[in-house]
Amino acid sequence: MKKKLLALGLSVVMMGMVFSGCGTKSSETTAAKDTKESADTTKGNDGKMQKVNLQLKWLPQSQFMGYYVAAAKGYYKEEGIDINILPGGSDIIPEQNVYNGVADIGVTWVSSLMTYQAQGYELQEVAQMFQKSGLLLVSKKGTGINSPKDLTSKKVGNWFGGNEYEVLALLEKYKLDKNKDLKLAQQDYTMDQLKEGSIDAASAMTYNEFGLLLESGISKDDLNVINMNDEGVAMMEDCLFVNSTWASKNKDLVVRFLRASIKGWKDACKDPEAAGKTVYEVDKSVSLEHQVYMAKEVAKLTTPEGFDASKIGQIDMKAIKQTGDFLKLYNKDLAKTPVVDDTTFTSKYWEEATK
Amino acid sequence: MTEKVKNVLWPMGFGILVIILWQVGVIHDALGFKPFQLPVPLQIITTLQNNFSKALSDTMITVSGALAGLILGCSIGFMVAVIAVVFPKWGYTGLSVIAAFNAIPIVALSPIMNRWFESGFAQKVAVVTVVCMAAMAINAYRGLSDLKPFAKDLLESYAASKRVIFFKLRLPNCLPNVLTALKINVAAAIMAAMISEYFAASTAGIGFGIKDNLRKGMMAMGWSYIVMAALVGIILYLTILLIERRTIKWHASQR
Repeated sequence: MKKKLLALGLSVVMMGMVFSGCGTKSSETTAAKDTKESADTTKGNDGKMQKVNLQLKWLPQSQFMGYYVAAAKGYYKEEGIDINILPGGSDIIPEQNVYNGVADIGVTWVSSLMTYQAQGYELQEVAQMFQKSGLLLVSKKGTGINSPKDLTSKKVGNWFGGNEYEVLALLEKYKLDKNKDLKLAQQDYTMDQLKEGSIDAASAMTYNEFGLLLESGISKDDLNVINMNDEGVAMMEDCLFVNSTWASKNKDLVVRFLRASIKGWKDACKDPEAAGKTVYEVDKSVSLEHQVYMAKEVAKLTTPEGFDASKIGQIDMKAIKQTGDFLKLYNKDLAKTPVVDDTTFTSKYWEEATK
Repeated sequence: MTEKVKNVLWPMGFGILVIILWQVGVIHDALGFKPFQLPVPLQIITTLQNNFSKALSDTMITVSGALAGLILGCSIGFMVAVIAVVFPKWGYTGLSVIAAFNAIPIVALSPIMNRWFESGFAQKVAVVTVVCMAAMAINAYRGLSDLKPFAKDLLESYAASKRVIFFKLRLPNCLPNVLTALKINVAAAIMAAMISEYFAASTAGIGFGIKDNLRKGMMAMGWSYIVMAALVGIILYLTILLIERRTIKWHASQR
């Protein structure tokens, strides 16, 4: 019995040592990273390049053309930044990567960012690239969904995981119960379900999935489109965000990054064809035509009609507040009401960068 | 204290200790986590309580799919084993084919089934069926063909027909093996059902709940689903254990 107790005690002590060893390792690396970062900020002034990891929300495509154009044209180098663009994917969560330090700056949707902020993650938006929402609900004319009211008893698809709030807001606007009046279905990353007919209305981004549908031979006249902006239920999407602790230690770096990125976006929106080609050079898995199509559509979202191109990346606090209000209504499990102020959505870096 | 009671109390005590350490924050301090990255047990339980009806209905959906697939998969597996025993010359290839199925990863099976079937329930049942077939087939074949020495000879000396040998000797002999396969398959079925839900079209079920909530950063809700899945797995396993205790009282493992 004594021997057994001794063995038990030893194993508990060993486990404790392993745990604390892991713990100190992570705090050591964060401590080391902190000193490296503060050292880096001074290094930057000496002319040496600072590394910045940018986490994209999805795979390399024209949705992020501004960053690729800026990298290709050397704008980041001019600002002393050694940019490393990390592609996203189906299991990559930008908020978690930026929070953990895997990336320094990330691209995500505002509603998703707010959900994380409400939990307590110290994340902060620094620029709003897309001024308009690009989300559509697309259906074949044959299913007869001429207006959102016709969605009753239909199968509506969305990718979920934070992308569904605009659709929920649309349903609420037309008094459709998402559990009783229709069926919500999980959509995969193709449009096959809509083409085959296993769902009636599919979520689609103007710049991506909608283009895929058109490229597969379906003409625009065969499709019914519900645009979230027209229905007044749009929420803000692609934005740039940082870990606020990291940003406060690297203020100058953030400003320089924004300056270079905005320059890249300006060029991209002026010449979307060239931007599409630049992105195609990075990742040839999607066709050149699709990248150019996407570039043209993304330019419409970044610099919509009547928008002053010199203000690319500007944060419209009113639109952000509306996004927050919608989120509070449609995410019943939100940890607390989204806070929309300078700690969570700051324009100070953007203003500095566009001076 | 009796041996049996001690056997239960020690593991339970250790489990409670781990939960207390978790709640108090020792694990958070040791691994450098913030409370929103790893929710504490009390938070998980409160979230589960608040959303219990939804969690329960989702669990029922996953479990019903898992059980349906389990029954279907085990039946098919058993049939293949029977064929392999009754027609030994060409039936054995059936076993090899089923063993090959076992090598297909569930994450690959699920999108394939999504293409073949339309309803979310059918997709789930299809994945679980494929996953459950192999274990049952191989175990049942073992049980049907691995007979006690001379038992078959004894029956043959009584001029018993093949049918009688099958029903009076092979079937009772394979019961322990079948129950072993069931124990393996129950856990595999729940897991396969959850993974299939990750990719399936339906938005109900534990798998979707875990995937969606973790992606949105709603950790407490995701963990509540994990707790439900663990509970269901334990309950089903205990059910099989009870069935085993009743049906094969004569077997060495039950003494």
